[in-house]
Amino acid sequence: MSRAERNFTLLLMAPAALFLLVFVAYPLLTLLRDSLYDVALMTPHQRVFIGLENFQRALTSSRVIDTAERTLRYTLIALTVEFTLGFLMALLFNHLGRRSELMRTLFLFPLMIPPIVAGLLWRFLLIDNFGIVNHILHFLGLLSAPSDIAWLGDRDIALYSVTLPDIWLTTSFVTLVLYTGLQNIPRELNEAARIDGASALQLFRHITLPLLRPVIAVVVIIRGIDAARAFDIIWVQTEGGPRFASEVLSMHIYRNMIRYGDVGFASAIATLFLLALLVLSLLAFFSIWRPVQGRRDS
Amino acid sequence: MKRSMFLAVLLVVLLGLLPLQGVIAQDPVTLTVLVEIGGLSLQKAAAQLFEEQTGHTVEIVEVPYASVLESLSAEMAVGGSSYDVATIDVIWIPAFADFAESLDDLFTDEVKADLVPALLADSLWNGRHIGMPTWANAEVIYYRKDLWEDPDEQAAFQAEYGYELAPPTNWQEFTDMATFFTRDTDGDGSIDLYGTDVKGAPPGADVEWMVHVLQAGSPGVVLDADGHIIVDNDAHLAGLEYYVSHHCELGLTPPNPLEIGWGEGENLFFQGATAMTRFWGHAYRLQQFDGLASGNYLGPEAVSHVGVAPMIAGEAGIGSIPGPWFNIIPQTSENKEVAKEFVQFLYEQNALGVETPLGLSARNSAFEQFAGQENYENITALVTTLNGSQTIGRPLVANWQQVSDEVVVPMVQDALSCEVSPADALAWAREELEAMGFE
Repeated sequence: MSRAERNFTLLLMAPAALFLLVFVAYPLLTLLRDSLYDVALMTPHQRVFIGLENFQRALTSSRVIDTAERTLRYTLIALTVEFTLGFLMALLFNHLGRRSELMRTLFLFPLMIPPIVAGLLWRFLLIDNFGIVNHILHFLGLLSAPSDIAWLGDRDIALYSVTLPDIWLTTSFVTLVLYTGLQNIPRELNEAARIDGASALQLFRHITLPLLRPVIAVVVIIRGIDAARAFDIIWVQTEGGPRFASEVLSMHIYRNMIRYGDVGFASAIATLFLLALLVLSLLAFFSIWRPVQGRRDS
Repeated sequence: MKRSMFLAVLLVVLLGLLPLQGVIAQDPVTLTVLVEIGGLSLQKAAAQLFEEQTGHTVEIVEVPYASVLESLSAEMAVGGSSYDVATIDVIWIPAFADFAESLDDLFTDEVKADLVPALLADSLWNGRHIGMPTWANAEVIYYRKDLWEDPDEQAAFQAEYGYELAPPTNWQEFTDMATFFTRDTDGDGSIDLYGTDVKGAPPGADVEWMVHVLQAGSPGVVLDADGHIIVDNDAHLAGLEYYVSHHCELGLTPPNPLEIGWGEGENLFFQGATAMTRFWGHAYRLQQFDGLASGNYLGPEAVSHVGVAPMIAGEAGIGSIPGPWFNIIPQTSENKEVAKEFVQFLYEQNALGVETPLGLSARNSAFEQFAGQENYENITALVTTLNGSQTIGRPLVANWQQVSDEVVVPMVQDALSCEVSPADALAWAREELEAMGFE
């Protein structure tokens, strides 16, 4: 590449780089800087440097540790159910071919609903006293009274209940991406394997799954990060209650940053959260995507 | 003669213009006013009049509840504010006090005499009045008028309890009536009308139980006026025990109160699932409209079966937690004088608020104009409650939100789970408050 070409390439990249610098790098550096200070929301100019004290406070706070553990659980539940259902639906749509067009369109509807609306909708569906879910279960004879299950009021199940709207909302996204991946698998491979006598399970295990690994990696990483960052969809249902049973990290950061004005502490938790997401994403990337790349290279 | 006629006409014209001279003393400016959606109709109605009378322009920025705090604090943090006036909830007074202009000169003796005492106290921060109350609310008692006015129910109640069935005025009467009306109405073996409700979900879990703490004689809630912990004094224990007993011991409330906040409690009552509820005084008026935003008047049918009574009294008298909103002027406003004029104008036109769907005001005189009028049956109950001897605001501490989120709400949820005794729940609250640095 000649010098002129290199300069031209840099010129083309400049707007995007500038955008990233202003809207990604600067806020991140500000976050990191704030995490090293004792600083209040209303008086950011009156700050005291305290080094890693906020990080030490975050790492030893039982509230933060419990919330982090709940975030992990929420993410795993949402991701596992969405991925399983989404994969099954994608396989079904792929099997049905053109006959699935109408179903595919209908299936995508929840994707267009804002998370906050979905959260509110499910809040009223799940409320035991007058929510339709318990009344249907009661009508079917599965509950002796509509108040038998306190979906959002029982500490033991609240975290699972608040994942329902997330699952309802984004399973269709998982289906869409996996279905696209399935469509890109060459038909000849499956046909050749069938001629060789491969069963449906063998086709899935030795052709579909390996070729779909990059797509699966994308789904797991995008949806995993997205679920871990969940905020509004849970906030409108329970505000993190009862007794913090459904509080996740983004809500804890919001509380400390906005409601309590403790910018330094909130920034430290946010920085740790960011690092954790980065590590988990890299792990997912290397364990799901990389092996395929490696085999292809060899 | 002609000359004197001319002078007389000139004098009349000049005298006629004098009042206007006072109003348009400066160039017209545009005021930017931050308002929460709930108070929009009042501010809009007053702003329109203000524009007509002064020539200034008022631009109203309407945001949801939580965004008032977020929007204003973000602006304060960067050292400036595009707002000339902001209408804020009482709990944010300490947070914005240092950034708000003093309004002491607006608080004349006449103004002070017309404001609810608790609001006057809430407007003060370090001896300065930094917010002018614009509307005030308090929890009152809503009851099913159709049940209370039913002769059969009246006779049955009289026979069982030995006194007349009338809106409850104290703890014992409230419990008696809640017990009486908790029943299986269709004979299927399950209760379908509950006497009342308790709130274990926010919003509602943080404040409602406290009204009984005040009624029991506490000088404040959670913290006293000096910021010292009083969360485990005798009145707190009595108030919490009374509140929780309706659910845990007597079964007078819908099950699973941890799912019930103010919104759900209001729904349950207006759908006929509860006979009484403690709820904010504005609901009676608002139910007659199809919502705050549209403000279309539907008529009084929606509340024809609803009665409103003052909040009940405990040993120390009627007590409630007021929910006032205040107009403040950020110190960074470039139009402070006109902003102050507008705040003064909002005070003068405060009665407009009672006519809006929210139906609220901050002045006793404004409420009194409507008391007793048809479709305003809630006003007397609300004014009585607001002026109750034990009606006291929440502690004015800068981190009240944190106290509420981290201590008060979980503590009430613990107590309403019926697994933790009120005494243990309050003891835990003290430990948490001490860990937060309170003494």
